[in-house]
Amino acid sequence: MASRKSPSRKSPARPAKRAGGKAPVARKASPKRGAARATTSALTLPTLHESTTSSGLKVIAAERGPLPMVSVRLVIRAGSATDPDGKHGLADFTARLLRRGTRRLNAQAIDEAVEFVGASLGVGVSEDTLSVALTTPSEHFAQMLDILGQLVREPTFPQSEVDDARERELAQFANDLDDPSIIADRAMVRALWGNHPYGHDVGGSSKTVKTFTRDDVVRFHQERMGPKVSMLIVVGAVDPQRVAAAAEDAFADWTGGPDAPVAIPAPERIAQGGRVIIVDKPDQTQSQVRLGGPGMRMGHEDYFPATAMNIALGGGFTSRLMNEIRVNRGLTYGVSSWFDSMNAAGVFALSTFTKTESTREIIDVALAEIGGVREKGLKPRELADAQAYLAGLYPLRTETNESIAGSIAEARLHGLGDDWVERFRDRLRAVTPKQVVAAAKKYCFAQAPAVVVLGKADVVKKQLKGLGPITVVPASEYE
Amino acid sequence: MSKASPSKVPTRVADPALESLFDVHEATLPNGLQVRLLANHQAPVVSLYTVFQVGSRNERPGITGISHLFEHMMFNGAKKYGPKMFDKTLESNGGRSNAYTSTDLTVYYDDFSADALETVLDLESDRMRSLRISQATLTSEREVVKEERRVRVDNDIFGLMDEELGTLVYKAHPYRWPVIGWMADIEAIRREDCQDYFRTYYAPNNAVLYIVGAIDPKKTLALVRKYYGSIPKGPAPAAVLNSEPEQKGERRAEVRHPAQSPALMLGFRGPPARDDDTFVLDVIQYVLTKGEGSRLIRSLVYEQKLAVSLMLDWSWRIDPGTILFYLALKPDSDPKKVEAALYAELEKIAREGITERELQKAQNNLRSDHLRELATNNGRAHALGHYEALLGDWRRLLTLPSTYASITNDQVKAVAAKYFAPERRSVVTLVPAPTEA
Repeated sequence: MASRKSPSRKSPARPAKRAGGKAPVARKASPKRGAARATTSALTLPTLHESTTSSGLKVIAAERGPLPMVSVRLVIRAGSATDPDGKHGLADFTARLLRRGTRRLNAQAIDEAVEFVGASLGVGVSEDTLSVALTTPSEHFAQMLDILGQLVREPTFPQSEVDDARERELAQFANDLDDPSIIADRAMVRALWGNHPYGHDVGGSSKTVKTFTRDDVVRFHQERMGPKVSMLIVVGAVDPQRVAAAAEDAFADWTGGPDAPVAIPAPERIAQGGRVIIVDKPDQTQSQVRLGGPGMRMGHEDYFPATAMNIALGGGFTSRLMNEIRVNRGLTYGVSSWFDSMNAAGVFALSTFTKTESTREIIDVALAEIGGVREKGLKPRELADAQAYLAGLYPLRTETNESIAGSIAEARLHGLGDDWVERFRDRLRAVTPKQVVAAAKKYCFAQAPAVVVLGKADVVKKQLKGLGPITVVPASEYE
Repeated sequence: MSKASPSKVPTRVADPALESLFDVHEATLPNGLQVRLLANHQAPVVSLYTVFQVGSRNERPGITGISHLFEHMMFNGAKKYGPKMFDKTLESNGGRSNAYTSTDLTVYYDDFSADALETVLDLESDRMRSLRISQATLTSEREVVKEERRVRVDNDIFGLMDEELGTLVYKAHPYRWPVIGWMADIEAIRREDCQDYFRTYYAPNNAVLYIVGAIDPKKTLALVRKYYGSIPKGPAPAAVLNSEPEQKGERRAEVRHPAQSPALMLGFRGPPARDDDTFVLDVIQYVLTKGEGSRLIRSLVYEQKLAVSLMLDWSWRIDPGTILFYLALKPDSDPKKVEAALYAELEKIAREGITERELQKAQNNLRSDHLRELATNNGRAHALGHYEALLGDWRRLLTLPSTYASITNDQVKAVAAKYFAPERRSVVTLVPAPTEA
């Protein structure tokens, strides 16, 4: 609940609210990336029904009740890694503009049509994909799918909407400078990936967004978004045959886009590995700390040993990092480590925060804990506990239409196989201590990590001597 | 509780789709612990909620924040499962846990593999029966909470403004202070304060247990009796006195803090959750800010381009709550102008009401969101606890769609006129200050 990234766990009937004084205050910040988990009962997903529209769009439907709702996800392989040079943030900017007007409907008419029936429509851009997500009461499914079709087939990107969106975005970039955790994350992305296509914030920066024109948006839509690099996933209370028919009606005329996704190369190294970046924000009483090194792409053979290892190191509440940094020393409210695995490559990273005075201490303790696992792996009991934890909770991922649609998308995007969910727990339980030792040696900062600290530079800089060459950057660098 | 609405008893008819999902088994143990059990076999997982009727409204100056600090202490060891053993045992059995404290309630929840049910009941009953509060864990946990306060309030603009707003809206009621507490109070809370707190508010008769998921209700109730049955009943906690005086006019404050843009936070004094006006305010909240096509987002963000983003939070509370607006502005915005534009929209609703289509749209969305909320075991358990604690009966979640469906435009008009009156308003303006190097 503490950061914008964390989903609010409170009743979704109310608008998500950033945690403030009067808001409920939770004991733990939500983990950055969800962890997986396992049990004895079999997990079965609804049967997948596949079809392809005449335009070449792959459609996957799964019927599931009992609530009279349907979740739809259109996934296009046109994420921020496909942003043109000098136009970082264009995928995200284009995605947000899709609903600001089509050949038949203006923005207001789209909002009204979707929102009147109690449906909701949102776009999300990651490094690898641009997604449009829709949830709707079942009885309005076909009508809503038709609108979704219009958004990607025939958006008009009115000039005034482009101009307004750019202005809003620039104001948001300015305001983001007041959010320490957002700026620290942005600095970390740059420190990890450098000039690699994953090396910029999904939203770009004020410098690039300033240059966006309507032509840029139109070109991105025509060149990057099309049926051959997309898939439509529908999970909920709707007959798969109806899904195939409605998809044909909504997407038959969709043309454009590439025949195959843009290939993203794997990077050679962590851009700022072994270096320290201090982002100066003199008004802070607390430092935001990030550490990061190489990880792995999604679908890599190390995935399960590394995931199990990370649960014990920095995933669960009883992890070594949480135990040493929060429970034993009271240095922070939240600390976690995770593997961020994308299609072409990934990273292993840690995130935490502490009062300015204990910045060095928290980094030293974190590095010592990670180093301990790198040297000696896990105790057999720790591995068994991590496996039981992840395996026990994994079925939570099959509770909602949205999460099932997400799992299907993930499995398809990264070639994990349609039995990914069903077999997840068995694969996790099969991880051996020897595999964990190997994974730990490889991923637990075998080389010195990139270090990012956002805080009061003049106090923090003295503390960080000896961690590597230090560069101090004003926060405004990350607007 | 004066009712602004043209008087009409709100409709309460159970929604058939919901009723079929909520075959809830209820029991009260001799020690006063209330139990609600609901089977759902869609996945082999269970969620357990324990709701204690205590929050920052039960505090007093000097120990503000104790409800929340105490919530942290509930994870730090009891008689059978000592320090660190709660999380360790739960996680190694395929479960996870968290908790939150609000002004009114302290809520603990666990999500876990169905075969860990008995272990979880053992863990939860152990800490309700015999929490151990050591000086060492209190000292260390206090530092954790101070870091939490730094991240949520001291280094967060929304947090700073929200804290200021609370002290404007409330003069006497405990809603005046932040749930996390004042920093000096957090530092001053003693072990004995925590022990008193435990004795007073954590007795079984002040709690309700909700278990939802892959369970057999009969067998589960037997297990609950086994683990919780012998925990002794406590005295009934003292009632909270609401001595809040009437507000006589608008109240204003400024927060000067390094920032890129000004911002506005406004609070209007609302009714308590149990007042029928609460549901009319829900409708108004949806009309004003739910979705891109809602009135305020369309008008202030898209048409007049005055705000970057805005939110309205009407959070139900036991005592009269606050209808809260937060507007993130642009670096060159004039907050006065934005305020005026906001008031114009609020006055318009009070004067003209809303269209039939807007009313229908709000009702459709309230129903969809209600259904989404109930998609998971955790969501169902949370909803049971939420409606029972704030409306007095979990069954209200079944009848809520019919309550919303019965709301009329006249009620919307009257409620808007009553609650958006200037004399109910408190305004906090963020004034960007230069950063001190």
